[in-house]
Amino acid sequence: MAAKILDGKKLSAEIREELKGRIARLKERGIVPGLAGILVGDDPGSVSYVGLKEKASEELGITSHMLRLPRDIKEGDLLKEIQRLNRDERIHGIFVQLPLPRHLDESKVLSAILPEKDVDGFHPVNVGKAWLGQEAFLPATPIGIWEILVRYGYGNLRNKEVVIVNVDNLVGKPLASILAQQKIGANVTLCHPTTPHLPSYTRRADVVVVSVNKPKFLTADMVKEGVIGIDFGSNWIDDPTSKTGKRTVGDIDFETVKEKAEAITPVPGGLGPMTVTMLLANTVTAAERQARIT
Amino acid sequence: MPAEIIDGRKIAEQIRGELKERVEKLKARGVTPKLVAILVGEDPASISYIRGIAKSCEATGILTETVRLAENVSQQELEAKITQLNRDPTCHGIILQLPLPKHLDTLRAESTISPDKDVDGTNPINMGKLLLGEDTFYPSTPYGVQELLVRSGHSPDGKHVVICGRSNIVGKPLMGMLVQKRKGANATVTVCHTGTRDLAAVTRQADILVAAMGKAKAITADMVKEGAIVIDVGVNQIEDPQNPGKFKLVGDVDFEAVKEKAKAITPVPGGTGPVTSAMLVANTVKAAERLSRL
Repeated sequence: MAAKILDGKKLSAEIREELKGRIARLKERGIVPGLAGILVGDDPGSVSYVGLKEKASEELGITSHMLRLPRDIKEGDLLKEIQRLNRDERIHGIFVQLPLPRHLDESKVLSAILPEKDVDGFHPVNVGKAWLGQEAFLPATPIGIWEILVRYGYGNLRNKEVVIVNVDNLVGKPLASILAQQKIGANVTLCHPTTPHLPSYTRRADVVVVSVNKPKFLTADMVKEGVIGIDFGSNWIDDPTSKTGKRTVGDIDFETVKEKAEAITPVPGGLGPMTVTMLLANTVTAAERQARIT
Repeated sequence: MPAEIIDGRKIAEQIRGELKERVEKLKARGVTPKLVAILVGEDPASISYIRGIAKSCEATGILTETVRLAENVSQQELEAKITQLNRDPTCHGIILQLPLPKHLDTLRAESTISPDKDVDGTNPINMGKLLLGEDTFYPSTPYGVQELLVRSGHSPDGKHVVICGRSNIVGKPLMGMLVQKRKGANATVTVCHTGTRDLAAVTRQADILVAAMGKAKAITADMVKEGAIVIDVGVNQIEDPQNPGKFKLVGDVDFEAVKEKAKAITPVPGGTGPVTSAMLVANTVKAAERLSRL
């Protein structure tokens, strides 16, 4: 039996509708959620991603304040901009588009954001609080994964085996922050893409999450029957049948794994559409917390 | 063949030997590291733990002081004391002995400790840095586990580490430390808990098994793979079968049975305990070095 397709596009639209309601309630109290983004330089990928965030904010009624700063900006000047945004009461959420040019100290820059406005959840205080199981902002990808699981009815992970192939600060570690908490009760394994005998881990998984950016990395022989497959890979591969000669695929060998899985996220249309939405959700939450409505 | 017994006392001695040289250098510059422990109430286990730490400090040539506060101390008084120590230039490390009486907010108190003096790494900002792989203070128990492994020649590099118990002081920080992409870490890590259904199926996967559940003899021989390295963080008081009416300390591992199967094992007492207090001293020395550089 073919797997249920976990439709991130549809879920994302659903969540945005809910956000509109929360934004309307904020507006009744005279609060318009504001999201500030900082883009340093003109990396085309970052430019287009910031543009997406800007457009999506405005569509929902979140005011966006995007700062586009020159590539050679001095660290001190960038930090001053962040402090200005920290103080600005119209702004409830701040993100810095990564990666930053090399001369800037990423950890110093991210730590300058006020934790209450750190809607990307990269400030060490938020990372630490989340890990300790306290209220904190978490990055968009792991909360997007969690929302998909919960909204498709797979949120009860007690005694389930969750295997995450990624140990990065953006995906693996913060996802473990959600799923390894006592209240969830899952057994969580963090694997490196280079973990020896990786299939012996992934085959035990009830839920497998992959983010390694290698097409067809996770094949059908590496999963058990009935697995839930979550794919955060994005690979641009040759496809002679497509108009551009290229197409995007994930890290899971979708065609074969979907025959074995209970449910699976497609690429594109799985986690991708969820990430911007979760950033907006964090921004609305930040505005509510700052206005003390929770 | 019975397992190699990993001698925590010997390793702690070795660590203190190395620390003494660093302490001498600090003293030559007029700085004597000092660790201050805050103890609220009269819990006998806490008093004995602090006594152990004090001994370890003295053996390394650093100063130690215990601030004793009454059981009914207010949150405000506790925080005022912490703030005073934060400002005291002769104090380099602060630990707050847990558990606190129920009327006190542990998290708020821990967050009050200056991150620069937080030698048990409990302030969320230090926990966040740990997870992010930045320079920080590792909580002493998981830090001790890592040192025990590395110094006994059983580095977790490339190994599967299964941690039973996901407390904020042991299991979670240990997972965060061991998944980092660096020497002495680089492990594939699973966290599970006493409530895990078929815990044995999970623990039998482990190359390195860390027991931190706080339950005597929770890890039995059938739960351990032949040739595994077993680290016992548990400290449980049980009635001594040889001396009715008397108590003795045991770990979470059924030592006698498991040692016949494991390749190496830590005893209780004399395993992780002594190394934990050595690591607390190590963190205090590091704090003094950092603070005196300023």
